[in-house]
Amino acid sequence: MKKTAALLSISLLAATMAPMMVSAEEASPEGRTEITFWHYMSEDKEGKYVNQAVEEFNNSQDEIWVNAQYLPREELMKQYTIGVVSGELPDVGMVDNPDHNSYASMGVFEDITDLFNSTEGCNFLEGSIGSCYYEGKLYGVPWGNNCLGLFYNKDLLDAAGVEVPTNWSELEAACEALTTDTTYGLAISAIGNEEGTFQYMPWLYSAGGSVTDMTGDGAVKSMEYLYGLIEKGYMSKEVIKWTQADAEKQFASGQAAMMINGPWQFDGIANDAPDLNYGVTLVPKADDGDYASVLGGENIGICAGTEHLDEAWTFITWITSAEKSADICSSIGRYSPRSDVNIQEMFADDPLNSALAAAMDGAVSRGPSPVWPELSAAVYTAEQEIFTGQKDIPTALADAQATIDGLGME
Amino acid sequence: MRKIKKDTVLGYCFILPAVIYMLVFIGYPIIYNWLISMQDVTAKTLGSPVRDFIGLDNFITIFGDATFRASLVHTFVYTIGCLVFQFLFGFIFALFFTKKFSLAKPIRGFIVISWMLPVTVTALVFKFMYADNGIINTILLNLHLIKEPLGWLLDGKMAMVGLIIANSWVGIPFNMLLLTTGLNEIPAEIYEASSIDGANKIQQLFRLTIPLLKQTILSALVLGFVLTFKVFDLVYVMTGGGPVDSTEVLSTYSYKLSFQMFHFGEGAAVANVLFVCLLAVALVYLHVSSSEE
Amino acid sequence: MKKIHLKERQKSIILTILAILIACVFLFPIYWIVINSFKIDSEIFANPPTLWPRAFTLDAYKAQLRNLTVTFKNSVIIAGGSLCISLLLSVPAAYGLAKFKVKGTKVFMLVFLITQMLPASLVLTPLYLTFSKLHLLNSYLAPILSTATVSIPFVVLMLRPSFMNIPTELVEAAKIDGCNALSAFLRVVVPISKPTVVTAACFSFVFAWNDLAYSMTFNTKDAFRPMTSAIYTFMNQYGTQWNKIMAYGVLLILPCCIIFVTMQKHIVEGMTSGSVKG
Repeated sequence: MKKTAALLSISLLAATMAPMMVSAEEASPEGRTEITFWHYMSEDKEGKYVNQAVEEFNNSQDEIWVNAQYLPREELMKQYTIGVVSGELPDVGMVDNPDHNSYASMGVFEDITDLFNSTEGCNFLEGSIGSCYYEGKLYGVPWGNNCLGLFYNKDLLDAAGVEVPTNWSELEAACEALTTDTTYGLAISAIGNEEGTFQYMPWLYSAGGSVTDMTGDGAVKSMEYLYGLIEKGYMSKEVIKWTQADAEKQFASGQAAMMINGPWQFDGIANDAPDLNYGVTLVPKADDGDYASVLGGENIGICAGTEHLDEAWTFITWITSAEKSADICSSIGRYSPRSDVNIQEMFADDPLNSALAAAMDGAVSRGPSPVWPELSAAVYTAEQEIFTGQKDIPTALADAQATIDGLGME
Repeated sequence: MRKIKKDTVLGYCFILPAVIYMLVFIGYPIIYNWLISMQDVTAKTLGSPVRDFIGLDNFITIFGDATFRASLVHTFVYTIGCLVFQFLFGFIFALFFTKKFSLAKPIRGFIVISWMLPVTVTALVFKFMYADNGIINTILLNLHLIKEPLGWLLDGKMAMVGLIIANSWVGIPFNMLLLTTGLNEIPAEIYEASSIDGANKIQQLFRLTIPLLKQTILSALVLGFVLTFKVFDLVYVMTGGGPVDSTEVLSTYSYKLSFQMFHFGEGAAVANVLFVCLLAVALVYLHVSSSEE
Repeated sequence: MKKIHLKERQKSIILTILAILIACVFLFPIYWIVINSFKIDSEIFANPPTLWPRAFTLDAYKAQLRNLTVTFKNSVIIAGGSLCISLLLSVPAAYGLAKFKVKGTKVFMLVFLITQMLPASLVLTPLYLTFSKLHLLNSYLAPILSTATVSIPFVVLMLRPSFMNIPTELVEAAKIDGCNALSAFLRVVVPISKPTVVTAACFSFVFAWNDLAYSMTFNTKDAFRPMTSAIYTFMNQYGTQWNKIMAYGVLLILPCCIIFVTMQKHIVEGMTSGSVKG
């Protein structure tokens, strides 16, 4: 009897206390200006280096305290969209470079053209900082670059007596030789999000296509080629569900002899399969085409409505300075987007990174365009429709083109 | 006289807090949802105090949207598929476990656990088992029922079948329990009498059991319909509506419109279509269960 | 006579074996969750799959100990809070509907019956907009308040019949002993119905614990994320690390399994009475 009464009163107490238990954020040391920094470098991987850098910044001076918060990429994008209205934006935010334009157009980021022009030592590669401009104004600076290459398992290639493929026919022949009951020739990510578009672009551009011309020969040829690899059983049907991290798992566990992926996976492979004997080269080119690569990476900007514009800028210039940029980028598997960091020199005795960094030259950028997310959706949807056999190639591509035409790009 | 009045007041004191709570957190949102579905609510207009009233524009938009029409069809296909599957197995299980043998009751009880588990986990474990080289494909291959691995969640139709199986794993015990309750209410003498009349087991099933269980069967089906029709977690976690919208259902599409594309108005309109369908069935159910008494 | 008896026994044994087989197949997914959480990465997709881990390891748990503890705590707070609200409101309501003859009982019952059938996705958008205005997003309160709406109607419908069975004389006797209506309810009615009330508490806890839609929509920051939405986010990021996903899964199903095993009989009874009719 008493027990029940006690239970009820405890319940009452707990219910009234619940609202008080809401906040759990770390408090900043007294007297410092606190700024928040949102990023999507996952905590167990790249994120720990980001946290280290932030900690170093916090210890290097006693005026600004940066509070770094991790949110998964999709979640972060949601928060930006909603944050414009609700006003709940951080002071500094990271953004995937193809999306930067779209968020700038929505008003997520602060125009920093003047700050940038009045600050010395901001030397970035043109191709990288290009994604930060929207209608002639600057909304951020590049954080790190990456690109895609072909990873190959040396032992499996040797065992099958296959040379490292350089073009599509060689790649297909290699896949045929490498595919067994337990191993697929190639792994890619063809998932229904930005990663899918990102991974498709090298094929598309090598065949002479472009994301704004999805009914052209390049698109048809590249889709036919990739779908052919699936149909022949060289590539798992599951690629439509795989993220790039999943592709890495397949490769690291030996279930795929080759994969398309980027430099941020070196760390993962070293963890998952420390003894894996593998190499990296450019994504094979179309038989009558050129090598093509796609520029990936992140930018960081100051979010609209911040009360600490100068402090935020101080932090950004610190973390993207030549020294820090070179440092962080090499830890998290990115290439510094600064023109005063010599990447080839940096990776002189690192064959994997220098091979992959070579693909940075002439890498195609995604956009910049304020409608990139919609455009990208049209591209990866077409790819998914084709790979699952829901639509034939001409229909899927025509539908994608219709969507893209409707976006009103000039 | 006074006592009656005092009793009434007391009664309301007991009842009303819960009723008010439900009206605040469910009733009000339902009305608000109709309002939103007739307004132009997107990420851009979300914060502004005045939003344009656009009448039925959102409904016109969604009915013109191929994905919405497909998701309406998928919802019905899914619901009916699940109903058939889980009801049949539920019925077989119920008949089986009402037989008298040792451990019948505890085993029947244990099977019910699948109903209690978080659907999120159910969805994940089935997703895992459906993988290309997952356990289900391995078993089927070893039994030589298939020649190459089935792409369970990689093909639109297979993904729907996969969802129906996973949902039935949750639904079968529920149907079994409802039907068991009904079976236990049938007096044993009736069967004895009919076996004296020379009816065999199958005749008994169709001539006695099923007619006597009519009410229970009806409520199991209607209730099953309601519970299945509103599916969200399972589809969202297992297929995310994919591959390419082929398993998109009303609730997941409404969620996507609202919280991934931020077309809150359209998301609310889709939710209202779901509401109308459910309410219709719920009223049928209430009618059925009140005529039962 | 003896022969028939033997036949009956044989039949019983065969049926029991069959039942055990059915249960094994049926409950296999649960076994699969548990066993895979103890495997190492490379064994997850071993061909053929191993029914028992070759190398039994706790790595999947250790690797994400921090995430597991934070999200487990969040789940407990949310489910606990929801349980409190639900019981505080629905136990008295069920009693009121069972024992007081007030006008509108039918309408109130209808409110509970219908609200129970409605899905979360129906009220997500309006609740999101409302909570956003009240600055309740990313707090424990938002999922607590919303998940309670799942269990309240269920508990009311489940408890009402058992309260109806309590003899009115008992309550009257308590009143003669000097109890008022509230203390009679707390000191007599609730204790007598303890098993059903505890069952109701279990259901309330489990419903909130299992919720994905509300917490995923209202709480997007890691600090407030319960296990259900954390496991979903995790799967999106690390799709094929099934041992780690299953480690979350084990912790997620653990409370449900404990509750279920200890209270099986009451749960099974409550399930039908709570979802069918009052």
